[in-house]
Amino acid sequence: MKLLTHNMLTSHVKGVVKGYPLLIKATEVKVNEVDFNPQFVSRMIPKLEWSALVQAADELGQREDLPGELVPEYENNEEFLKKVHRVLLEVEVIEGVLQCPESGREFPISRGIPNMLLNDDEV
Amino acid sequence: MVLLRYYINISALKRASNEPGMRLNHQKAPGTGTLLSWEEIRREPSVFDDRCTRTTLRGRTMDAGTGNSVGAVRRSKEDRKVLRKQLKASHTLLKHEGIRTTPQPTKTLVVANGGLGNGVSREELSAALGEMGELETLIMHPHKPYAFVTYRSEESARKAHVRLNGEKLECRESSVTLYLSYVNSVTCEEEVSVPLPDGLVLVEDFVSQEEEAVLLAAIDWSSTNDDFTAKKALKHRKVKHYGFEFRYDNNNVDKDKPLAAGIPQECLPFLERCVKNKHIDILPDQLTVNQYESGQGIPPHVDTHSAFEDTILSLSLGAMTVMEFRHPDGRLVAVVLPGRSLLVMKGESRYLWTHGITARKFDTVPARGPQSPARTAPDLSACSNLTLSKRDTRTSLTFRKIRHEPCGCAFPSACDSQVAPLAPPPPSPPSLPCCHADAALLEEEYVHRVYDAIASHFSSTRHSPWPRVCHFLSTLPAGAVLADVGCGNGKYLGVNPEVMAVGCDRSSALVHICAQRGFQAFVSDALRVPLRTASCDACISIAVIHHFSTQERRRAAVRELVRLLKPGGRALIYVWAFEQEYKKQRSKYLKEHPEKHSPTEDAQTGSSQEAHGESSIHTSRRLEDLQDATESKLSVHTNRTAFNTQDLLVPWHLKEGKKQVDEESREGERKDETKEKSQKTNTGFGSGLDTSAKPSASGDTTPTCGSALKSESEISAAPVFHRYYHVFQQGELEQLCGQEAGVTLQSSYHDQGNWCVILEKALGTDL
Repeated sequence: MKLLTHNMLTSHVKGVVKGYPLLIKATEVKVNEVDFNPQFVSRMIPKLEWSALVQAADELGQREDLPGELVPEYENNEEFLKKVHRVLLEVEVIEGVLQCPESGREFPISRGIPNMLLNDDEV
Repeated sequence: MVLLRYYINISALKRASNEPGMRLNHQKAPGTGTLLSWEEIRREPSVFDDRCTRTTLRGRTMDAGTGNSVGAVRRSKEDRKVLRKQLKASHTLLKHEGIRTTPQPTKTLVVANGGLGNGVSREELSAALGEMGELETLIMHPHKPYAFVTYRSEESARKAHVRLNGEKLECRESSVTLYLSYVNSVTCEEEVSVPLPDGLVLVEDFVSQEEEAVLLAAIDWSSTNDDFTAKKALKHRKVKHYGFEFRYDNNNVDKDKPLAAGIPQECLPFLERCVKNKHIDILPDQLTVNQYESGQGIPPHVDTHSAFEDTILSLSLGAMTVMEFRHPDGRLVAVVLPGRSLLVMKGESRYLWTHGITARKFDTVPARGPQSPARTAPDLSACSNLTLSKRDTRTSLTFRKIRHEPCGCAFPSACDSQVAPLAPPPPSPPSLPCCHADAALLEEEYVHRVYDAIASHFSSTRHSPWPRVCHFLSTLPAGAVLADVGCGNGKYLGVNPEVMAVGCDRSSALVHICAQRGFQAFVSDALRVPLRTASCDACISIAVIHHFSTQERRRAAVRELVRLLKPGGRALIYVWAFEQEYKKQRSKYLKEHPEKHSPTEDAQTGSSQEAHGESSIHTSRRLEDLQDATESKLSVHTNRTAFNTQDLLVPWHLKEGKKQVDEESREGERKDETKEKSQKTNTGFGSGLDTSAKPSASGDTTPTCGSALKSESEISAAPVFHRYYHVFQQGELEQLCGQEAGVTLQSSYHDQGNWCVILEKALGTDL
């Protein structure tokens, strides 16, 4: 699970109001090498919840010097985009859990895949 | 002149390469241009034709042209085109059928495109050929795109060659262009006569035409609510009972409640004749009348032992049909039932063999002739005297005697009275659920567990993205967020590398395949997708919602897609259509029929496709209730045939690792070797390449198309899974989506056996 995906995921447990962002508890993290496409990264940024990304990167110890706030005019800031690229697309959680911040319910991540299935009573 | 020929070849090449799914075989025979592969020929029976312009060559002569030079050039250009096509046909026949043509005139010709496989009937072809001279033999193997004709004299053969080569033959509602070449020998197989099942007797001409008319008139269909359109829409045969009610919910008879109407008086002479001819000892007391329109049938079944005594009489009126008998050991016997014939089922044929009528519009039957047998060999390839017979409305009168004591037949394995003490009762077929909990259980059993079990095999058969889905994906702006709900093996996740695509599927096994291919996906239910509201620019749900077993759940799935969309965002939904044929086009699902009985072409007009989703719900006649009762028990569908009901179980035959014909390739499975983008390692998010990821699993490489010609018994040996589907009628998906607030229908269409919609979320909506 990459952090770009994590940024979109939310807890959908019944009754939960604030299910986003999911907390990450990772036991295995990989950093891959992914071709850098500045336009793509730049287009992704407006779709993100920036603070959630920073928080997730922090939790994984992969934040490095990613700023807490979006840098203005980032579209042409290659250095910044590279940092974002790394955190969004290169960092990958292989094993761990995602935890609902409100209910505490844990969703396992196994072989890079989060399993978000709820039980019947949670739906 | 040389330049001209070169030009023609190039443009043919260009045309060929622009057509989707077209593969160019780069081997060229001398004197020919591009060759088409066997795949293309099989898909397009008239592939020998020039697809682009059909030039009528009537009046063309082989002599040098008279008149102006332009006319002469035009004629010889056409001549060369015909010659080119003929050579191409010859080469293909050699390459794929081992048929060797010869330039030397002989008495025998092979007629390319003049085959049963092209929808050409024996009568039509022999009429055209017969004009050239006296025919000695005409051989048409089933499903082949050619025929062999032997004339009495070589002179006639030469005349045929000159006059018919490159000529169009008008058949029913299509036309084919014939290409003739001489052959030295004909590949022919011996006719094998197949015995009828034990206990089965067929008596032709049992009633006269007058008697037939009287009997047909005696059936009063008017007491059933005459909602003609609903019946047409549902494509169900009409059923009426006399004497006792046959109940389709438990497949038995209410023996304590005889119907007011007994067997009509008009049937007595017929029944007396049956007694006189010793077909029965006792008069029956129950009559079921079935009326089958073209395209309707009845699934294979054994008449319930405990309901009826041994002998069952079935009288066919109005038209002929082909009834198939299947033995548990896999033997199949197709029996032609001519109009006005009597079928007597007794003993093994009544108690053990199943009988059924495949729902179709054309049957392949022996041609009428002095030695045409009433029955045919199961695979028909042994019989070369064949032709196509268009189905007409057939009414069957089935007379049975109610059984009042338990059945003590000699076939306990099929007997509901004699339950084997140690064997567990056979699982009763599931019924349609009426609440969420039951629905979830049904889907768990007949969708989720199946996909998890067949995931890798399933994935190997789902490799070609559908063009119109790809088109939708290609229209998404760069950087769009796309959710593929029910992504399966991730087929669509890599189609547009400019978008951020994330997939989810209920099957963990399939999601793992996505991950192997480098896509981002997670496991979740389509009814509860763990993505934020209004987080997606676009969603797709391809072949997913038809797995939900109640309307409420299907609606909930649509609602969830709409929730995910940003205002202005669009969703594309594909579901399997009840109507597999649309505007005269049969879907690929129907075309690629592995059994050898189905026709490859259908001439039925599209007007019968006007289904009215509403009317079937509103009619409340008792017969309709019976039909509903039938439907509430899920029946197993026969793959690659038209659908009889909307809710059904579709078999999946699992083959481990080997080449397997995709038995339900309703998608445009081209089984080609084109390298797919998805097979390259990538993030699925953009053009960034994940170079450190594992290379895509070799299991995803496209298997080459295995032979379609598996015997029945081979198929039955493989494990079979059943998947639940609710196939949608025309308009039903639109209606389902129309019930959702805040979303408008942008587009609605039929694509290869699917109903499809594009929805757009209204701007300024807050959900």
